[in-house]
Amino acid sequence: MRIVFVATAAVLAPVAAFAVDYLSAEQAFKLMFPDADHFEPREFPLNAAQMQELEAQGVRARSVHWTVSVAQRAGAPLGYVVVDNVIGKSELITYAVGIGLDGAIKQVEVLSYRESHGQEIRLPAWRRQFVGKTAASSLHSGDDIANISGATLSCSHVTEGVKRIVAVVALARRSGGLP
Amino acid sequence: MTDACIRRARPLLGTLVEISAHGSDEDAVRLAVDEAFRMVEAVQRLMSYHDPESDVSRINREAARQPVAVASHTWRVLDAAQSIARASDGLFDITVAPTLVAFGFLPQHADFPRASGQGDWRHVELLAERRVRLARRLCLDLGGIAKGYAVDRAIGVLQSHGMRAARVNAGGDLRVFGAPMQTVHIRRPGAPTELMPLVELGEGAAATSADYYTARRRSGRWVTPLIDPRTGVSCPRGRSVTVFAPDCMTADALTKVVHADPQRAIGILPKFSARALMLHDDDDLDVCKLYTLADAGRPWQTHWLAENARHV
Repeated sequence: MRIVFVATAAVLAPVAAFAVDYLSAEQAFKLMFPDADHFEPREFPLNAAQMQELEAQGVRARSVHWTVSVAQRAGAPLGYVVVDNVIGKSELITYAVGIGLDGAIKQVEVLSYRESHGQEIRLPAWRRQFVGKTAASSLHSGDDIANISGATLSCSHVTEGVKRIVAVVALARRSGGLP
Repeated sequence: MTDACIRRARPLLGTLVEISAHGSDEDAVRLAVDEAFRMVEAVQRLMSYHDPESDVSRINREAARQPVAVASHTWRVLDAAQSIARASDGLFDITVAPTLVAFGFLPQHADFPRASGQGDWRHVELLAERRVRLARRLCLDLGGIAKGYAVDRAIGVLQSHGMRAARVNAGGDLRVFGAPMQTVHIRRPGAPTELMPLVELGEGAAATSADYYTARRRSGRWVTPLIDPRTGVSCPRGRSVTVFAPDCMTADALTKVVHADPQRAIGILPKFSARALMLHDDDDLDVCKLYTLADAGRPWQTHWLAENARHV
Protein backbone atom coordinates (compact mmCIF):
# COMPACT_ATOMS: atom_id res chain seq x y z
CA MET A 1 0.00 0.00 0.00
CA ARG A 2 1.29 3.47 -0.91
CA ILE A 3 -0.51 6.21 0.99
CA VAL A 4 0.09 9.76 2.14
CA PHE A 5 -2.23 11.60 4.50
CA VAL A 6 -2.68 15.17 3.34
CA ALA A 7 -3.66 16.46 6.72
CA THR A 8 -2.89 20.12 6.57
CA ALA A 9 -5.11 23.16 6.71
CA ALA A 10 -4.19 23.88 3.10
CA VAL A 11 -6.35 21.05 1.83
CA LEU A 12 -9.46 22.56 3.26
CA ALA A 13 -10.95 23.48 -0.09
CA PRO A 14 -13.83 21.13 -0.60
CA VAL A 15 -15.10 20.46 -4.09
CA ALA A 16 -18.83 20.98 -4.02
CA ALA A 17 -20.06 19.87 -7.41
CA PHE A 18 -18.76 17.47 -9.98
CA ALA A 19 -19.80 15.61 -13.08
CA VAL A 20 -18.62 12.57 -14.95
CA ASP A 21 -19.59 11.73 -18.51
CA TYR A 22 -19.05 8.07 -19.28
CA LEU A 23 -20.69 7.55 -22.64
CA SER A 24 -22.82 9.44 -25.10
CA ALA A 25 -26.16 7.83 -25.94
CA GLU A 26 -24.80 6.92 -29.38
CA GLN A 27 -21.75 5.25 -27.87
CA ALA A 28 -23.93 3.27 -25.49
CA PHE A 29 -26.21 2.15 -28.33
CA LYS A 30 -23.23 0.91 -30.31
CA LEU A 31 -21.78 -0.82 -27.27
CA MET A 32 -24.99 -2.69 -26.56
CA PHE A 33 -25.77 -3.62 -30.16
CA PRO A 34 -22.47 -3.62 -32.05
CA ASP A 35 -24.07 -5.39 -35.02
CA ALA A 36 -26.77 -2.77 -35.54
CA ASP A 37 -26.52 -0.49 -38.57
CA HIS A 38 -29.38 1.80 -37.56
CA PHE A 39 -31.19 2.92 -34.43
CA GLU A 40 -34.76 3.97 -35.12
CA PRO A 41 -36.30 6.18 -32.42
CA ARG A 42 -39.97 5.41 -31.81
CA GLU A 43 -42.22 7.66 -29.76
CA PHE A 44 -44.46 5.67 -27.50
CA PRO A 45 -46.98 7.81 -25.61
CA LEU A 46 -48.78 5.89 -22.87
CA ASN A 47 -52.56 6.23 -22.69
CA ALA A 48 -54.52 6.15 -19.44
CA ALA A 49 -55.31 2.45 -19.71
CA GLN A 50 -51.63 1.63 -20.29
CA MET A 51 -50.58 3.77 -17.33
CA GLN A 52 -53.04 1.80 -15.20
CA GLU A 53 -51.72 -1.47 -16.53
CA LEU A 54 -48.20 -0.49 -15.41
CA GLU A 55 -49.44 0.62 -12.01
CA ALA A 56 -51.15 -2.75 -11.64
CA GLN A 57 -47.72 -4.36 -12.14
CA GLY A 58 -46.38 -2.21 -9.33
CA VAL A 59 -44.49 0.11 -11.70
CA ARG A 60 -44.89 3.85 -11.34
CA ALA A 61 -45.07 5.02 -14.96
CA ARG A 62 -43.84 8.55 -14.06
CA SER A 63 -44.06 9.86 -17.62
CA VAL A 64 -46.43 9.41 -20.54
CA HIS A 65 -43.69 10.15 -23.08
CA TRP A 66 -41.28 7.37 -23.86
CA THR A 67 -38.82 7.08 -26.69
CA VAL A 68 -37.62 3.59 -27.48
CA SER A 69 -34.78 3.23 -29.98
CA VAL A 70 -35.02 0.08 -32.05
CA ALA A 71 -31.65 -1.43 -32.91
CA GLN A 72 -31.80 -2.74 -36.46
CA ARG A 73 -29.62 -4.59 -38.90
CA ALA A 74 -30.70 -4.47 -42.55
CA GLY A 75 -34.15 -3.44 -41.37
CA ALA A 76 -34.59 -6.37 -38.96
CA PRO A 77 -34.92 -5.53 -35.25
CA LEU A 78 -32.16 -6.71 -32.88
CA GLY A 79 -33.42 -5.15 -29.66
CA TYR A 80 -34.27 -1.89 -27.92
CA VAL A 81 -32.51 0.88 -26.03
CA VAL A 82 -34.11 3.45 -23.73
CA VAL A 83 -32.30 6.42 -22.20
CA ASP A 84 -33.66 7.85 -18.96
CA ASN A 85 -32.74 10.19 -16.09
CA VAL A 86 -33.28 9.74 -12.39
CA ILE A 87 -32.82 12.35 -9.70
CA GLY A 88 -31.58 11.45 -6.25
CA LYS A 89 -31.09 13.63 -3.22
CA SER A 90 -28.23 15.52 -4.81
CA GLU A 91 -27.45 13.63 -7.99
CA LEU A 92 -28.74 13.37 -11.53
CA ILE A 93 -28.00 10.06 -13.23
CA THR A 94 -28.52 9.44 -16.94
CA TYR A 95 -28.47 5.81 -17.94
CA ALA A 96 -29.34 3.56 -20.85
CA VAL A 97 -31.01 0.17 -20.77
CA GLY A 98 -30.53 -2.31 -23.61
CA ILE A 99 -33.23 -4.94 -24.00
CA GLY A 100 -33.12 -8.01 -26.23
CA LEU A 101 -35.91 -9.29 -28.46
CA ASP A 102 -36.74 -11.78 -25.69
CA GLY A 103 -37.61 -8.84 -23.43
CA ALA A 104 -34.67 -9.54 -21.08
CA ILE A 105 -32.21 -6.87 -19.99
CA LYS A 106 -29.06 -7.06 -22.06
CA GLN A 107 -27.03 -4.29 -20.47
CA VAL A 108 -27.36 -1.22 -18.28
CA GLU A 109 -24.81 1.58 -18.67
CA VAL A 110 -24.56 4.85 -16.79
CA LEU A 111 -24.08 7.67 -19.32
CA SER A 112 -23.46 10.47 -16.88
CA TYR A 113 -23.42 11.28 -13.20
CA ARG A 114 -23.86 14.83 -11.93
CA GLU A 115 -23.79 15.90 -8.36
CA SER A 116 -24.35 19.24 -6.75
CA HIS A 117 -24.63 20.48 -3.21
CA GLY A 118 -27.40 22.90 -4.01
CA GLN A 119 -31.03 22.57 -4.90
CA GLU A 120 -30.37 23.19 -8.58
CA ILE A 121 -30.48 19.45 -9.16
CA ARG A 122 -34.26 19.84 -8.92
CA LEU A 123 -34.43 22.78 -11.32
CA PRO A 124 -35.44 21.88 -14.87
CA ALA A 125 -33.27 24.69 -16.24
CA TRP A 126 -30.16 23.30 -14.56
CA ARG A 127 -30.85 19.82 -15.91
CA ARG A 128 -31.70 21.12 -19.38
CA GLN A 129 -28.21 22.48 -19.90
CA PHE A 130 -26.96 18.89 -20.16
CA VAL A 131 -29.59 17.63 -22.58
CA GLY A 132 -28.16 16.85 -25.97
CA LYS A 133 -24.56 17.10 -24.74
CA THR A 134 -22.46 14.29 -26.05
CA ALA A 135 -19.93 12.78 -23.76
CA ALA A 136 -17.27 12.48 -26.43
CA SER A 137 -16.06 16.03 -25.92
CA SER A 138 -15.65 15.77 -22.18
CA LEU A 139 -14.94 12.16 -21.40
CA HIS A 140 -12.34 13.10 -18.84
CA SER A 141 -14.17 15.97 -17.22
CA GLY A 142 -14.27 14.30 -13.83
CA ASP A 143 -10.70 13.07 -13.79
CA ASP A 144 -9.46 15.67 -11.34
CA ILE A 145 -11.71 14.15 -8.68
CA ALA A 146 -11.64 10.57 -9.77
CA ASN A 147 -11.53 8.86 -6.41
CA ILE A 148 -14.37 9.59 -4.07
CA SER A 149 -14.75 7.56 -0.95
CA GLY A 150 -17.92 7.96 1.01
CA ALA A 151 -20.87 6.14 2.45
CA THR A 152 -22.53 3.92 -0.12
CA LEU A 153 -24.87 5.88 -2.32
CA SER A 154 -28.01 3.86 -2.88
CA CYS A 155 -28.96 3.53 -6.51
CA SER A 156 -32.43 2.15 -5.83
CA HIS A 157 -33.92 4.87 -8.04
CA VAL A 158 -31.86 3.56 -10.96
CA THR A 159 -33.01 0.01 -10.19
CA GLU A 160 -36.63 1.19 -10.16
CA GLY A 161 -36.04 3.06 -13.40
CA VAL A 162 -34.65 -0.05 -15.09
CA LYS A 163 -37.73 -2.05 -14.01
CA ARG A 164 -39.97 0.69 -15.36
CA ILE A 165 -38.22 0.66 -18.73
CA VAL A 166 -38.49 -3.13 -19.02
CA ALA A 167 -42.22 -2.89 -18.28
CA VAL A 168 -42.76 -0.03 -20.76
CA VAL A 169 -40.93 -1.85 -23.56
CA ALA A 170 -42.93 -5.02 -22.88
CA LEU A 171 -46.14 -2.99 -23.00
CA ALA A 172 -45.10 -1.26 -26.21
CA ARG A 173 -44.42 -4.59 -27.85
CA ARG A 174 -47.71 -6.13 -26.68
CA SER A 175 -49.65 -3.18 -28.01
CA GLY A 176 -47.94 -3.34 -31.39
CA GLY A 177 -46.07 -0.07 -30.85
CA LEU A 178 -42.73 -1.76 -31.48
CA PRO A 179 -41.53 -4.34 -33.99
CA MET B 1 3.59 4.13 -25.98
CA THR B 2 -0.09 4.40 -26.83
CA ASP B 3 -2.56 4.69 -24.04
CA ALA B 4 -6.18 3.63 -24.15
CA CYS B 5 -8.37 4.58 -21.23
CA ILE B 6 -11.92 3.50 -20.52
CA ARG B 7 -14.14 4.66 -17.68
CA ARG B 8 -17.55 3.07 -17.20
CA ALA B 9 -20.20 2.83 -14.50
CA ARG B 10 -23.03 0.40 -13.93
CA PRO B 11 -25.61 -0.04 -11.19
CA LEU B 12 -24.44 -3.08 -9.19
CA LEU B 13 -24.14 -4.14 -5.55
CA GLY B 14 -26.95 -1.73 -4.68
CA THR B 15 -24.83 1.25 -5.73
CA LEU B 16 -22.92 2.57 -8.73
CA VAL B 17 -19.79 0.63 -9.55
CA GLU B 18 -17.24 2.56 -11.56
CA ILE B 19 -14.33 0.91 -13.34
CA SER B 20 -11.54 2.77 -15.03
CA ALA B 21 -8.58 1.13 -16.75
CA HIS B 22 -5.52 2.11 -18.77
CA GLY B 23 -3.94 -0.24 -21.27
CA SER B 24 -2.15 -0.16 -24.57
CA ASP B 25 -4.99 -1.20 -26.84
CA GLU B 26 -8.60 -0.05 -26.77
CA ASP B 27 -10.16 -3.44 -27.54
CA ALA B 28 -8.12 -5.12 -24.83
CA VAL B 29 -9.11 -2.46 -22.28
CA ARG B 30 -12.78 -2.77 -23.21
CA LEU B 31 -12.67 -6.54 -22.84
CA ALA B 32 -10.92 -6.27 -19.46
CA VAL B 33 -13.47 -3.76 -18.14
CA ASP B 34 -16.36 -5.95 -19.34
CA GLU B 35 -14.87 -8.98 -17.63
CA ALA B 36 -14.31 -6.99 -14.44
CA PHE B 37 -17.98 -5.96 -14.38
CA ARG B 38 -18.93 -9.60 -14.95
CA MET B 39 -16.87 -10.56 -11.92
CA VAL B 40 -18.70 -7.98 -9.78
CA GLU B 41 -22.01 -9.46 -10.97
CA ALA B 42 -20.83 -12.95 -10.03
CA VAL B 43 -19.90 -11.83 -6.50
CA GLN B 44 -23.27 -10.08 -6.18
CA ARG B 45 -25.13 -13.25 -7.19
CA LEU B 46 -23.27 -15.33 -4.59
CA MET B 47 -23.38 -12.95 -1.65
CA SER B 48 -26.57 -10.93 -1.90
CA TYR B 49 -28.84 -11.11 1.14
CA HIS B 50 -31.78 -10.20 -1.06
CA ASP B 51 -31.33 -12.88 -3.72
CA PRO B 52 -32.97 -16.14 -2.53
CA GLU B 53 -30.59 -18.16 -4.73
CA SER B 54 -27.37 -16.71 -3.27
CA ASP B 55 -24.98 -18.72 -1.10
CA VAL B 56 -25.82 -16.39 1.77
CA SER B 57 -29.54 -17.16 1.47
CA ARG B 58 -28.85 -20.88 1.27
CA ILE B 59 -26.80 -20.66 4.45
CA ASN B 60 -29.51 -18.66 6.19
CA ARG B 61 -32.21 -21.12 5.14
CA GLU B 62 -30.45 -24.42 5.78
CA ALA B 63 -27.11 -24.23 7.60
CA ALA B 64 -28.60 -24.45 11.09
CA ARG B 65 -29.94 -27.87 10.12
CA GLN B 66 -27.14 -29.22 7.94
CA PRO B 67 -23.81 -28.03 6.50
CA VAL B 68 -24.14 -26.02 3.28
CA ALA B 69 -21.42 -26.11 0.61
CA VAL B 70 -20.55 -22.71 -0.87
CA ALA B 71 -18.57 -21.36 -3.83
CA SER B 72 -14.89 -20.56 -3.34
CA HIS B 73 -15.55 -16.80 -3.55
CA THR B 74 -18.09 -17.00 -0.73
CA TRP B 75 -15.72 -19.20 1.25
CA ARG B 76 -12.90 -16.68 1.03
CA VAL B 77 -15.17 -13.88 2.25
CA LEU B 78 -16.51 -15.98 5.13
CA ASP B 79 -12.97 -16.95 6.09
CA ALA B 80 -11.79 -13.34 6.07
CA ALA B 81 -14.88 -12.22 8.00
CA GLN B 82 -14.13 -14.77 10.70
CA SER B 83 -10.47 -13.71 10.90
CA ILE B 84 -11.47 -10.09 11.39
CA ALA B 85 -14.13 -11.08 13.92
CA ARG B 86 -11.49 -13.04 15.85
CA ALA B 87 -8.87 -10.28 15.68
CA SER B 88 -11.40 -7.68 16.83
CA ASP B 89 -13.06 -9.89 19.42
CA GLY B 90 -16.41 -9.52 17.69
CA LEU B 91 -16.39 -5.83 16.77
CA PHE B 92 -16.96 -7.12 13.26
CA ASP B 93 -19.66 -9.76 13.14
CA ILE B 94 -21.55 -11.10 10.11
CA THR B 95 -24.39 -12.38 12.29
CA VAL B 96 -25.95 -8.94 12.89
CA ALA B 97 -28.50 -9.50 10.10
CA PRO B 98 -31.52 -9.90 12.45
CA THR B 99 -30.82 -6.43 13.88
CA LEU B 100 -30.59 -4.99 10.36
CA VAL B 101 -33.93 -6.66 9.52
CA ALA B 102 -35.50 -5.28 12.71
CA PHE B 103 -34.24 -1.78 11.80
CA GLY B 104 -35.67 -2.13 8.29
CA PHE B 105 -32.33 -2.16 6.45
CA LEU B 106 -32.71 -5.74 5.20
CA PRO B 107 -35.88 -7.50 4.03
CA GLN B 108 -37.58 -10.21 6.03
CA HIS B 109 -37.33 -13.57 4.26
CA ALA B 110 -40.36 -15.69 5.12
CA ASP B 111 -38.51 -18.96 4.50
CA PHE B 112 -35.51 -18.24 6.75
CA PRO B 113 -35.84 -19.90 10.17
CA ARG B 114 -36.50 -17.36 12.90
CA ALA B 115 -33.15 -16.35 14.41
CA SER B 116 -32.85 -17.51 17.99
CA GLY B 117 -31.25 -14.29 19.23
CA GLN B 118 -28.52 -16.45 20.78
CA GLY B 119 -24.98 -16.78 19.51
CA ASP B 120 -22.68 -14.73 17.35
CA TRP B 121 -19.80 -15.08 14.89
CA ARG B 122 -18.26 -17.83 17.06
CA HIS B 123 -21.17 -20.07 16.10
CA VAL B 124 -20.47 -19.84 12.39
CA GLU B 125 -18.48 -22.99 11.64
CA LEU B 126 -16.33 -23.28 8.53
CA LEU B 127 -15.94 -27.00 7.87
CA ALA B 128 -13.87 -29.03 5.42
CA GLU B 129 -14.74 -28.96 1.72
CA ARG B 130 -16.06 -25.37 1.87
CA ARG B 131 -19.08 -26.26 3.96
CA VAL B 132 -20.69 -23.92 6.46
CA ARG B 133 -22.68 -24.86 9.54
CA LEU B 134 -24.49 -22.60 11.99
CA ALA B 135 -24.31 -23.91 15.54
CA ARG B 136 -27.16 -21.58 16.53
CA ARG B 137 -30.12 -20.32 14.54
CA LEU B 138 -28.26 -17.32 13.12
CA CYS B 139 -28.74 -15.13 10.12
CA LEU B 140 -25.73 -13.92 8.12
CA ASP B 141 -25.25 -10.78 6.09
CA LEU B 142 -22.04 -10.14 4.14
CA GLY B 143 -23.06 -6.56 3.31
CA GLY B 144 -20.22 -5.22 5.45
CA ILE B 145 -17.46 -6.99 3.55
CA ALA B 146 -18.59 -8.42 0.18
CA LYS B 147 -18.53 -5.11 -1.67
CA GLY B 148 -14.85 -4.77 -0.84
CA TYR B 149 -14.24 -8.31 -2.04
CA ALA B 150 -16.01 -7.58 -5.32
CA VAL B 151 -13.70 -4.59 -5.81
CA ASP B 152 -10.64 -6.77 -5.13
CA ARG B 153 -11.73 -9.43 -7.62
CA ALA B 154 -12.48 -6.82 -10.28
CA ILE B 155 -8.99 -5.37 -9.75
CA GLY B 156 -7.63 -8.92 -10.08
CA VAL B 157 -9.37 -9.33 -13.44
CA LEU B 158 -7.94 -6.02 -14.69
CA GLN B 159 -4.44 -7.01 -13.58
CA SER B 160 -4.66 -10.42 -15.22
CA HIS B 161 -5.70 -8.71 -18.45
CA GLY B 162 -2.46 -6.74 -18.35
CA MET B 163 -3.89 -3.30 -17.60
CA ARG B 164 -1.20 -0.73 -16.81
CA ALA B 165 -3.28 1.07 -14.22
CA ALA B 166 -6.85 0.85 -13.00
CA ARG B 167 -9.28 1.71 -10.30
CA VAL B 168 -12.56 0.23 -9.17
CA ASN B 169 -14.95 2.20 -6.99
CA ALA B 170 -18.09 0.52 -5.65
CA GLY B 171 -19.95 3.44 -4.15
CA GLY B 172 -17.09 4.53 -1.93
CA ASP B 173 -15.16 1.27 -1.55
CA LEU B 174 -12.28 1.71 -3.93
CA ARG B 175 -8.96 0.24 -4.92
CA VAL B 176 -6.28 1.49 -7.30
CA PHE B 177 -3.10 0.14 -8.83
CA GLY B 178 -0.44 1.17 -11.26
CA ALA B 179 -1.10 4.89 -11.41
CA PRO B 180 0.98 7.66 -9.91
CA MET B 181 -0.36 8.83 -6.56
CA GLN B 182 -4.01 9.84 -6.86
CA THR B 183 -5.99 12.10 -4.58
CA VAL B 184 -8.81 10.45 -2.71
CA HIS B 185 -11.68 12.77 -1.83
CA ILE B 186 -13.73 11.93 1.23
CA ARG B 187 -17.31 13.10 1.68
CA ARG B 188 -17.98 15.37 4.60
CA PRO B 189 -20.49 13.63 6.89
CA GLY B 190 -22.49 16.77 7.68
CA ALA B 191 -22.58 17.84 4.01
CA PRO B 192 -21.84 14.79 1.87
CA THR B 193 -21.67 16.63 -1.44
CA GLU B 194 -18.59 18.41 -0.14
CA LEU B 195 -15.59 16.39 -1.22
CA MET B 196 -12.41 16.83 0.77
CA PRO B 197 -9.02 15.87 -0.71
CA LEU B 198 -7.51 14.19 2.33
CA VAL B 199 -5.32 11.36 1.10
CA GLU B 200 -2.97 10.42 -1.73
CA LEU B 201 -3.17 6.77 -2.66
CA GLY B 202 -0.86 5.01 -5.11
CA GLU B 203 -1.54 1.36 -4.51
CA GLY B 204 -4.14 -0.09 -2.20
CA ALA B 205 -7.69 0.36 -1.06
CA ALA B 206 -9.90 2.81 0.76
CA ALA B 207 -13.37 2.13 2.14
CA THR B 208 -15.70 4.54 3.90
CA SER B 209 -18.70 3.81 6.10
CA ALA B 210 -20.98 6.54 7.37
CA ASP B 211 -24.65 7.03 8.02
CA TYR B 212 -25.50 10.20 6.07
CA TYR B 213 -27.37 8.36 3.32
CA THR B 214 -28.99 5.72 5.48
CA ALA B 215 -29.84 7.01 8.97
CA ARG B 216 -33.56 6.90 9.63
CA ARG B 217 -35.94 7.39 12.50
CA ARG B 218 -37.52 4.28 13.90
CA SER B 219 -39.87 4.30 16.88
CA GLY B 220 -38.68 7.76 17.83
CA ARG B 221 -34.93 7.12 17.71
CA TRP B 222 -32.29 7.27 15.00
CA VAL B 223 -31.00 4.02 13.62
CA THR B 224 -28.23 3.33 11.10
CA PRO B 225 -26.98 0.08 9.55
CA LEU B 226 -23.69 0.53 11.42
CA ILE B 227 -24.31 -1.70 14.41
CA ASP B 228 -22.17 -2.37 17.44
CA PRO B 229 -22.46 -6.18 17.43
CA ARG B 230 -21.92 -6.39 21.20
CA THR B 231 -24.98 -4.29 22.00
CA GLY B 232 -27.14 -4.41 18.86
CA VAL B 233 -27.30 -0.63 19.00
CA SER B 234 -26.44 1.73 16.13
CA CYS B 235 -23.04 3.42 16.39
CA PRO B 236 -23.01 7.18 17.15
CA ARG B 237 -24.39 9.32 14.35
CA GLY B 238 -22.56 11.90 12.26
CA ARG B 239 -19.27 10.05 12.05
CA SER B 240 -17.54 8.97 8.86
CA VAL B 241 -14.84 6.32 8.98
CA THR B 242 -12.39 5.59 6.15
CA VAL B 243 -9.99 2.68 6.38
CA PHE B 244 -7.00 2.20 4.09
CA ALA B 245 -5.63 -1.29 3.60
CA PRO B 246 -3.73 -3.27 0.97
CA ASP B 247 -7.01 -4.89 -0.12
CA CYS B 248 -10.54 -3.50 -0.20
CA MET B 249 -12.28 -6.40 1.56
CA THR B 250 -10.18 -5.80 4.68
CA ALA B 251 -10.67 -2.03 4.46
CA ASP B 252 -14.45 -2.48 4.09
CA ALA B 253 -14.78 -4.77 7.12
CA LEU B 254 -12.46 -2.72 9.33
CA THR B 255 -14.59 0.40 8.90
CA LYS B 256 -17.20 -1.39 11.05
CA VAL B 257 -14.58 -2.16 13.70
CA VAL B 258 -13.62 1.52 13.93
CA HIS B 259 -17.27 2.58 14.13
CA ALA B 260 -17.97 0.11 16.92
CA ASP B 261 -14.94 1.08 19.02
CA PRO B 262 -12.43 3.67 17.75
CA GLN B 263 -10.16 3.22 20.76
CA ARG B 264 -9.82 -0.54 20.45
CA ALA B 265 -9.36 -0.15 16.70
CA ILE B 266 -5.95 1.42 17.44
CA GLY B 267 -4.60 -2.00 18.38
CA ILE B 268 -6.50 -3.96 15.73
CA LEU B 269 -5.80 -2.08 12.50
CA PRO B 270 -2.00 -2.64 12.51
CA LYS B 271 -2.62 -6.42 12.43
CA PHE B 272 -4.00 -5.85 8.92
CA SER B 273 -1.49 -3.14 7.87
CA ALA B 274 -4.43 -0.76 7.86
CA ARG B 275 -4.69 2.98 8.53
CA ALA B 276 -7.77 5.07 9.16
CA LEU B 277 -9.28 8.49 9.35
CA MET B 278 -12.46 9.72 10.96
CA LEU B 279 -14.50 12.81 10.23
CA HIS B 280 -16.99 14.17 12.67
CA ASP B 281 -19.23 17.15 12.06
CA ASP B 282 -20.13 19.04 15.16
CA ASP B 283 -23.36 20.83 14.39
CA ASP B 284 -23.27 23.01 17.50
CA LEU B 285 -19.86 24.44 16.72
CA ASP B 286 -20.22 24.15 12.92
CA VAL B 287 -16.84 22.50 12.67
CA CYS B 288 -15.63 19.29 11.09
CA LYS B 289 -13.04 17.41 13.06
CA LEU B 290 -10.51 15.13 11.41
CA TYR B 291 -8.83 12.31 13.29
CA THR B 292 -6.19 10.11 11.75
CA LEU B 293 -4.66 6.80 12.65
CA ALA B 294 -1.68 7.08 10.33
CA ASP B 295 1.08 5.30 12.26
CA ALA B 296 0.85 1.87 13.86
CA GLY B 297 0.89 2.03 17.64
CA ARG B 298 0.09 5.72 17.95
CA PRO B 299 -3.30 6.97 19.15
CA TRP B 300 -5.76 8.99 17.07
CA GLN B 301 -4.34 12.35 16.07
CA THR B 302 -6.66 15.31 15.84
CA HIS B 303 -5.32 17.31 12.94
CA TRP B 304 -7.46 20.32 12.55
CA LEU B 305 -10.81 21.79 13.16
CA ALA B 306 -12.30 22.92 9.91
CA GLU B 307 -14.35 26.03 10.02
CA ASN B 308 -16.44 27.66 7.33
CA ALA B 309 -16.26 24.70 4.93
CA ARG B 310 -20.02 24.36 5.03
CA HIS B 311 -22.06 26.03 2.34
CA VAL B 312 -25.04 27.91 3.70
